Amino acid sequence: MAKAWIPFLEGRYSPTLDVWPIEAKEFNRIHEFYENLREGKFTTTKCKKCGRVAYPPRVICPECYSDDLEWIELPTKGKAAVVVEKWGGVPICYKPPLIDAWIDLGEDSPVRHILSRMVNCPTETLKEGDEVQLAVFDVPAHPIELKRETKIAERVFFAFEPVKK
Amino acid sequence: MAGRNACIVGGGMCKWGVREASYIDMVQEAAKECLGDIPGLKPTSIDGLLFASTFVGRRSAQANTAPVVAERLGLKPTSICARVDVLCAGGSTGILLAKGLVESGMSDIVMVAGCEKLYTPERWQVQYDEIAAIDHDWDGPQGIGPPPLWFAMIAKEHMKHYGTKREQLGMVSVINYDYGYENPKGHFQRKLTMEDVLNATEIAAPLGLYDCCPLTDGSAVAIIASEEKARELSDRPLVYIRGGAQLSVHSISANWPGEHLGDWPHLRMAAKKAYENAKISPNEVDVAQVHDCFSISEIVEVEELGFCKKGEGGPFVDSGQTKLGGATPTNTDGGLLSCGHPFGATGIRQGIEILKQLQGRAIHQVDKAAIGLTHNLSGSNVEHTIVIYGREPGK
Repeated sequence: MAKAWIPFLEGRYSPTLDVWPIEAKEFNRIHEFYENLREGKFTTTKCKKCGRVAYPPRVICPECYSDDLEWIELPTKGKAAVVVEKWGGVPICYKPPLIDAWIDLGEDSPVRHILSRMVNCPTETLKEGDEVQLAVFDVPAHPIELKRETKIAERVFFAFEPVKK
Repeated sequence: MAGRNACIVGGGMCKWGVREASYIDMVQEAAKECLGDIPGLKPTSIDGLLFASTFVGRRSAQANTAPVVAERLGLKPTSICARVDVLCAGGSTGILLAKGLVESGMSDIVMVAGCEKLYTPERWQVQYDEIAAIDHDWDGPQGIGPPPLWFAMIAKEHMKHYGTKREQLGMVSVINYDYGYENPKGHFQRKLTMEDVLNATEIAAPLGLYDCCPLTDGSAVAIIASEEKARELSDRPLVYIRGGAQLSVHSISANWPGEHLGDWPHLRMAAKKAYENAKISPNEVDVAQVHDCFSISEIVEVEELGFCKKGEGGPFVDSGQTKLGGATPTNTDGGLLSCGHPFGATGIRQGIEILKQLQGRAIHQVDKAAIGLTHNLSGSNVEHTIVIYGREPGK
């Protein structure tokens, strides 16, 4: 009986099937966002010329197209405005239930709302209005072929979690 | 070329569902149905092809798909041969682009084909691949690739701000399945009771199984031609593409443009522009095919398209205004909920239903229908596409 997989692809990395971004500096000019995450900072870019704060971070200002940008910190705490739990049709990268919240980062934040997966959150415990905070965690690494070696690119990503009462 | 009008002349679909067929098999089946709708049209008379598909490069491993489709269908395009990727609105986008090509004089007869083969040999990929359909690096890892989570949030917000009831969401599904019962090409041919909807498996509260359109394999094909060619090709009443709009103001969910998630200003803006360039008002729309990917989406759409006041979508549907005899019969072939949603093909299916309505040959015929509208949203509600058709040209 033939093997039910493709032998020469076994153990190979394909971005096509990766749920996480390629974060490494060799492939991504906003890699500082992920480096800031490692320090517990949730950041984005602000234009030094016109002052526009854009999220997600980018390499030019979407308002004036200046590339003179600086990193600023966004709030790492907010309130859950809407909470949804999904049990059916959850992709294999998550275990059901998949819990997401529409998070209000507050009137003073230049980015008012973000959508986030909730981690460290038992089912049916998070209510609208509850305080939540940034949570940073490791996600799978991938290889990068350099000239003479293959480097392993470690990665982190973020979600939010309930603030313990 | 000033003064040229574009018409939709004919269309066809393959059977939609979980198909034992490849994408290119289904396109051939739909093209055969389409040319069967226009006796006398030969493949070699078609000078343009626009092929709408988002996932063909990912789930069928075929990039640069249009030449493959053209060859298999026996076409030899001389004006355009290209693939269009606007996810859920790919088909409608193809129709709008074909209108522009025909009106400019660059093309005379354009085939707009759409197809998705969503079911892969291993089922895990069916849900997982949806992560590629949204803003991958930001929303993808947050879990809203498969859209029920996002639309459940929209439903909760609409209920909170406007008092929309769970049963009003359910009525969308009951009505649209009722319309789809007699559509042999749709994914489902069954009727639902309110009890069926309310007792269904929960997907993401408040949405249950029947509040969500299925994942569906399928293809649809339509012919867009100049008014002159349309008269040569068919003895049926002409159906003009009067106008339309496609609007995109954000990609990542964090840049949502509304006051809350039940407020869709980007659809209002798209509708305003489409009505202006089609020279009609919302109350002139006799029949509509709107993007009921979820029951809640149809409720918000009938509001933002101006068929009823903002916040009154629930009572509008509940009082029968989307049924035959209602104010704006909507999704008269079953919509996405009953027909399914092979993304690139959906807007073409909608266009074919409007064509039949305006020619008086639809299964659920709206009496004296003269103006029809199709609407699609794309991805996590980041883009809105509207096409307006009429028995008379807009110019």
